Amino acid sequence: MGSGSLLKMTYMGHTTFRFETDEVSLLVNPGIWDDEPVVPADHDVRVIAVTNHVNDALGNATEIAENAKAWILGNEATIQKAQAQGGKPWLLHVLRSETPYEIPGMKLTPFSLSRNDIERGGRFENLGFYIEMGKMKIAYLGDTVVRGPFGQLEIDIMITPIGGNDVFEVKDATSLCIDAKPRVVFPMRWTSPEQPKKFMRYIDQFGQGTNALVLEPGQVFQAEWAAGNEFRYKVD
Amino acid sequence: MSEHKSIIIDLEETEIANLSEFGDLSTIKTTGILSVNNVSERCRVWNVRVLVPDEREGTDIQEDTLIAGEIEAGGKWEHAYTVDVSAPIVTLTETYDTCSDFGGDLPNWAYVHGKETKVKVTLHLKNETDAQLENVILNKTIPPELTNVEISSVKSGNAEYDEGTRQVVWRDLVIYPNEESTLVLTGISRVDDVEIRNAGEIVVTYKAENLQRSSLKPDMTALTEFLTGIETAETEPNEWECTLECSNESDLMVRLDKAEVYLIPEDGGEKVKKIEEAPALEMIPGQEWSSTFEVSSKSPPKCTQEVIYTPMNRVTSRVIGTIEKAGQPIPVAHITYTKVFDPPEVNSFDKTPVEVDIEVKNAGTAKLNSIKIVDKLPDDVMPPKTEHVSIWVRGEEYTGEFKVTVDPDDQNPETPHTMTFEILNLKDTVGELEPGESVKVNYAIMAWRSRPEKEYPSPIEIYANTHPEGVTADAISEPDTHKIGILYKKRRISVKKAINKGANAGEYIILLVVENKGEVTVENVKVTDWIPSAFEYVSTDPMEEEPSVTEVEDCSAMTWIWTRMNPGDQKKLRVSVKGEGEYERREPEVVSD
Repeated sequence: MGSGSLLKMTYMGHTTFRFETDEVSLLVNPGIWDDEPVVPADHDVRVIAVTNHVNDALGNATEIAENAKAWILGNEATIQKAQAQGGKPWLLHVLRSETPYEIPGMKLTPFSLSRNDIERGGRFENLGFYIEMGKMKIAYLGDTVVRGPFGQLEIDIMITPIGGNDVFEVKDATSLCIDAKPRVVFPMRWTSPEQPKKFMRYIDQFGQGTNALVLEPGQVFQAEWAAGNEFRYKVD
Repeated sequence: MSEHKSIIIDLEETEIANLSEFGDLSTIKTTGILSVNNVSERCRVWNVRVLVPDEREGTDIQEDTLIAGEIEAGGKWEHAYTVDVSAPIVTLTETYDTCSDFGGDLPNWAYVHGKETKVKVTLHLKNETDAQLENVILNKTIPPELTNVEISSVKSGNAEYDEGTRQVVWRDLVIYPNEESTLVLTGISRVDDVEIRNAGEIVVTYKAENLQRSSLKPDMTALTEFLTGIETAETEPNEWECTLECSNESDLMVRLDKAEVYLIPEDGGEKVKKIEEAPALEMIPGQEWSSTFEVSSKSPPKCTQEVIYTPMNRVTSRVIGTIEKAGQPIPVAHITYTKVFDPPEVNSFDKTPVEVDIEVKNAGTAKLNSIKIVDKLPDDVMPPKTEHVSIWVRGEEYTGEFKVTVDPDDQNPETPHTMTFEILNLKDTVGELEPGESVKVNYAIMAWRSRPEKEYPSPIEIYANTHPEGVTADAISEPDTHKIGILYKKRRISVKKAINKGANAGEYIILLVVENKGEVTVENVKVTDWIPSAFEYVSTDPMEEEPSVTEVEDCSAMTWIWTRMNPGDQKKLRVSVKGEGEYERREPEVVSD
């Protein structure tokens, strides 16, 4: 695959993804799970985007940002928590719903979605990101139980939770894919090995052109618009 | 054949064969009675010896000669023996076809629960010998589940069905050497449980004269009342005529086998054989025989004799046989099923994948070779792709040949579909489905914007059959069963409108707030508001929510269409208009799917 419009996406594990083009790199939700950070603190990246303030989303973003001198993007609660963790104010940026954050090579539009609060009941805000990088339109739903406007957006690559409880169930993710018709969809945050299998099966049957792929941690997905209008991808 | 009496050596051999429920030979036992019958009215026979020198193979007779001793007139001597045989002289075959309507070379062997089947019973007897079979009688027990029993055809003899004893008796039957005969019965069966039935025992008895299962060729020697003597008569001086005279004094035929006379010389020395004959003469009662020689001797000659005779005999034989066949077990084909939706209900107006699990259980006692499932999907359901249907047999995923069809062959959720799953020829793949085992079919459908006011029944028909095929066992649901549950989620869309003054005279800001206050996502939301004729449309904030504006009668219509609004979604529109006169308020309209 050629460069230029090439998007390189690395699955780091759990809900953490790294997106990279020639111009910019973006790390999403570098969470901590069972006291283990998904991404090492010395990870080099330009921007970190976090969908909510919970530790499995924010994780060690503050530490990574400080080491890499990277910006952290998140909603009010997330940025406050990052600040409390010692995050440098000049590296923190509060995202407002539907207000794009744009730097050369990347435009990130957050949409206010919700995540179930398992411990206290109710819901709290989780941002869904609509990311435009390398001519690719990426929808990263984060830890959501609602779809927001993502069913109506033009999407090339979608990343959606499927594990149920505080996030989408398989059926919700499937329903969203049917409406949004992304070219490729990646499930994440499953709680049993049957869930991604079922999701893949549903998408294959009802997805109407959408390809579902499951990545192993460390696997790299690359996509580009060949000749400007042909969507090509490969998984290393 | 002489009219005079001869000793009778009789061989009566009895074979008793047991056939298994499927007609295979289970056991056969053949015994014989060798008897010597002295048919004389007045003469005893003695020193009776029965000779069976070379043909004892296959019997348990150990000696070449059986000592029978003496037998009084009219008396009998018997000796029992056994014979090794591999099969009876009659071949009995029964074909119990539980589905005579169905074509094919092989008979069906199972009833079907709750269904009438036409049964055809073919009873076939073959004489495997060169002798004629007589007194052949066949008794067949008719099982209680069989009604309307009729004798369809009988090749020879007479057959009757006694409804009281539930016996078919086929009698007056003679089967010529190497010939065969057939009886065909018909009836109707119906069973309403799955207990294995018994098709009824068969007993055949028969007799064949002048036939034996052993290879014995018995003969005998004996003595009876038989007179012998030598008469010496002088014909001239010192010339003598010596005559050996024999007379059958009994009322039996006697065979004279040997007659020898020896002259003892006057002066001593070795005796000289003067008569040596082996006439093999069959002498009727009272018949005499003599032989003469002449000799010179001063004194009357002295002679000795050696005469061998025996009462004559004839051999009779017969085989008496019985064949008992156990009743064929007739299992019952029966299926039950379960059909489960997971989740059992879906939100109205939503798109929800639903797993469909169908389990077909062999609830009968017959092995099943094929299963066919016809599953009817209602509209507002997207059917699966056929390659995503999985089938499980005995808990293992089935990778043998099966056929899945979708009619119509598309995934259009607006029309009903019929899914058909056919699992054929199990016997050649993973083996027939045994009683208690099950076949599972799993696939997923997509409930597609199900409407709460509608019902979505998904009836099912299941058919199963044996090998060879007979009447089909089925399980068919009622037409309005297996409904996909619809969880009613209320739709509630509100449109609020405010007319505010603009920055300049004649300018107004029309504020429209459209909100999905319901519990479900709504699609194709169409909002229409009108601008009085004296005013014109200027702009909308946000700009991307620009309406389509069309002129209608006395005003302009602004229309917005959103493909989808989720619960809680809100649209705020600020429409700028300008014109002259009074801005008359008119309520906006909203419609959606």
